[in-house]
Amino acid sequence: MTRFIVRRLLSTIPTLFVIITLSFFLIRMAPGGPFAREKKVPPEILQNLLKKYHMDEPLPQQYFRYLGDVLRFDLGPSFKYKDQTVNDLLGTTFPVSLTLGVMALAVATFLGVLVGIISALKQNKWQDYAAMSVAVLGISIPLFVVGPVLMLVFALILDWLPTSGWIGSRAGWATVVMPVMTLMLPPFAYIARMSRGSIIEVIRSDYVRTARAKGLKENVVITKHVLKGALLPVVTYLGPAFAGIVTGSVVVERIFDIPGIGKIFVQSAFNRDYTVIMGDVIVYSLILISANFIVDVLYGILDPRITYK
Amino acid sequence: MTDDVILQVKDLKAYFKLDEGLLKAVDGVSFDLRKGETLGIVGESGSGKSVTNLAIMKLIPTPPGRIAGGQVIFDGKDLIPMNDNEIRQIRGNKISMIFQDPMTSLNPFLRISTQMVETIVLHQGLDKKAAKEKAIEMLKLAGIPAPENRIDQYPHQFSGGMRQRVMIAMALSCNPEILIADEPTTALDVTIQAQILELINELSQRLGTAVILITHSLGVVAGMCDNICVMYAGRVVEKGSADEIFADPKHPYTVGLIKSVPRLDKENKQRLYSIPGQPPNVINLPECCPFFPRCDRAMDICKSKYPPVADLGNGRTVSCWLYGEGK
Amino acid sequence: MPISTKTKDNAVNEFNQYVKPVSLWADAWKRLRRNKMALMGMWIVGIYIFITFFAGLLPFFSYTDQELMHANLPPSFKPAGIVTLERLEMRKLELESAIAQTNREDLKTDLTRILLEAEQLKTEIDSNPVHKRVYILGTDSLGRDMLARTIYGGQISILIGLIGTLTAGLIGIVLGAMGGYFGGWFDNLLGRFVDIMYSLPYMLIVIIIMAMIETTNPTTKVFVLFIAIAMISWLTISRVVRGQVISIKNSEFVEAARSMGASSPRIIFRHLLPNTLTIIIVYSTLSFPSFIMNESFLSFLGLGVSAPMASWGTLVSDGVQSMQLYPWRLLVPGAAMTIFLFAMNFMGDGLRDALDPQSKNRT
Repeated sequence: MTRFIVRRLLSTIPTLFVIITLSFFLIRMAPGGPFAREKKVPPEILQNLLKKYHMDEPLPQQYFRYLGDVLRFDLGPSFKYKDQTVNDLLGTTFPVSLTLGVMALAVATFLGVLVGIISALKQNKWQDYAAMSVAVLGISIPLFVVGPVLMLVFALILDWLPTSGWIGSRAGWATVVMPVMTLMLPPFAYIARMSRGSIIEVIRSDYVRTARAKGLKENVVITKHVLKGALLPVVTYLGPAFAGIVTGSVVVERIFDIPGIGKIFVQSAFNRDYTVIMGDVIVYSLILISANFIVDVLYGILDPRITYK
Repeated sequence: MTDDVILQVKDLKAYFKLDEGLLKAVDGVSFDLRKGETLGIVGESGSGKSVTNLAIMKLIPTPPGRIAGGQVIFDGKDLIPMNDNEIRQIRGNKISMIFQDPMTSLNPFLRISTQMVETIVLHQGLDKKAAKEKAIEMLKLAGIPAPENRIDQYPHQFSGGMRQRVMIAMALSCNPEILIADEPTTALDVTIQAQILELINELSQRLGTAVILITHSLGVVAGMCDNICVMYAGRVVEKGSADEIFADPKHPYTVGLIKSVPRLDKENKQRLYSIPGQPPNVINLPECCPFFPRCDRAMDICKSKYPPVADLGNGRTVSCWLYGEGK
Repeated sequence: MPISTKTKDNAVNEFNQYVKPVSLWADAWKRLRRNKMALMGMWIVGIYIFITFFAGLLPFFSYTDQELMHANLPPSFKPAGIVTLERLEMRKLELESAIAQTNREDLKTDLTRILLEAEQLKTEIDSNPVHKRVYILGTDSLGRDMLARTIYGGQISILIGLIGTLTAGLIGIVLGAMGGYFGGWFDNLLGRFVDIMYSLPYMLIVIIIMAMIETTNPTTKVFVLFIAIAMISWLTISRVVRGQVISIKNSEFVEAARSMGASSPRIIFRHLLPNTLTIIIVYSTLSFPSFIMNESFLSFLGLGVSAPMASWGTLVSDGVQSMQLYPWRLLVPGAAMTIFLFAMNFMGDGLRDALDPQSKNRT
């Protein structure tokens, strides 16, 4: 097990390396630079600026310098947010995005599994049809429609919830409700459909027939014999689900004006804020890589048929 | 004669409502099972033999299936009208089952101990520790080496034959009166098959358990069973003692089945016989003898009416227009 | 049971029973026809596609037609002139009561302007055909018909989805089939590449690409957007096709073809692909909505389709700005898009259940 974890951790290094390299050159290949959009800067000042950020050096040299800095966990200074390093910037925004993402995924998993179980046990009854229509709707309706509509109804018309902000603001935890509801919708829908399908499949399986033939109560059959096998595929989905949440949070943070990474991400891409974009990409990749890693380990713990060597 | 009958199946019907029509998987099956007896139910796949036994345990998936009529009298009580609670007292306790495919019949996510102990605790009221000891004892009886170590393993750590032994140990752990074995050897290697049958035979005799052995192989039945039911298209076409049926089969289908068993003791160089045609699709089957298209002795009446049961005495019955009043 | 009613099939056995249709497609169609939701989805998708492609021939207003006087009109079946007039009357009453309370000078000038506007409108309401227009779904801030905007937005969105699905399908099928068929280093390389692409936060990279393009030409931008999305969309389909090809590759009928000396391309195109067709259809149908979703996602962020072109994403994005005052500007494109994707997903699910009943890839 330990060996598996170590090997799995080591295998993330090349992935991370590919991501850093790819984004670095992709960003530098684009025309324009961080200072292109500012007011006319005298050439000598621009020269100083470029020198300060080492942008006068040839590209490969900059690349290796950047790699070295990253190895020392130094993501450099921001070009636009003056006097702030990328580390500072991510330090304040990352916890916000992480809280949002983890809450959304937790709610999505809980509700998704619950709805999936109900649907599967009431297969082809009205509860099932209702739940599965909601699930298809959840997959079909874009986040950027749900978010504004929720805001319109619950904040602007009913005035129950604040339109924007985050936990630190005056409205406190009430700010969390709509962003989490919005962000959790797609993974909730997928998990509900997935768990319904796999529960139905497992209920028809031979080993559940055996369990029934032993005279076990139906609720024991479901909780002890059906759910564990049926919910295993849901665990594998959590990795990709997190990727979806990361992408979705870019939109949700923008709609609800949440001070997370997603909000500065799009802005810094527009601004050619090289170091911030790179920092964002690295953080996002780390999140995804660790999510997949946790899922793999979890799967191994839950499925006795898998042995790690 | 009837006093030692422990299970009486009377005119049992199990229908499945499918998109294509009504599938009468079991259509009026009757037989008796006596204490300690081994009854073989023989038929091709799709003849309704497995569904008959699932219906006895009320394990038919509903919907689309339902028990459409008949009685299953066990211990003086009819199981069919019982509610879930009552039937659960029977399942795994008085009547237990083992299934065709040991690879999929054990829960892959639970240890063998968990799966065995839950049954014993449920039906015998033992605590977990005592139940585990009982389980180990049963595994030993079933011929699992080092059961005290292996009991905490998962099913995938066992071979197919070993898993079927675990299934047998689990099924017999509550000393049931009846063991239903649904093609217990079909999915196993030929060399293992005989061992498993021998095990079932030996343990049932030792524990005094009656066995219903479902199989499509007459060879299996010949060695083990006291009595035989031959099923075709959801109905029993012939039943009687194993010796009599092998010595003097009546129904043309039984005749065909016996002729198609390869035999080493007979010195004939003829080709192995096989019954022509395919078993019928029993959905929307018209009123006729379903065997007539494959029968070499078919008469006109066979095409329009199902033959009544002809009692030949001594527990021997046959449903064919060649016998009884129809003759 | 009379036999005569069934003579059309003549597939009846000795018991006068139907013999199941052997064709996969007939069988699938039978299954699909029973799925009410999928059929409804197909109808809705059909209507959308019809309207999208024949919008020019149908009696809709132009999506570029502005009438500033009709800005931000709510959905109504009444002619635009009357709706505008009603709105002016309403505003007049509001202002009068406000003036009665506060007597503010600036409100008075507002009032005179509105009265003037109303007078002007009354004189031309019968003569100017513009005021006869009916905006059943309201108008936007420039007085353009929301229905027309939504239809033309849908045109772009659906077109991007369609072309994207076809391209992604083509790349995915070719690479997946080759990987599955030839195996070896090619398959390994492909597999590794797909793995890395899956583990990338890909949409974020698309965001970077789109944000960094320095072009004002909207067509170029759509083209880049389209390439960027298509680059990732073939992954899933290539995996599915590869798996299917591998499972068929070793089947008897392919062995037979090979033993008769059929060439590799012949085996791939004559034997393997036709047998993966069902899966390809299913996954194309299911990837179509995700294409539209990705495009409008970027457009919403201001990174996709730009003015004067519009897609559902940009329309929703516009609508959000003023949703408190003019909610229809958000709800109309939002609903149009959601209904289409909803129908598309139901259709895809139905097709999958019909064509691939034992699918292990259900979600």
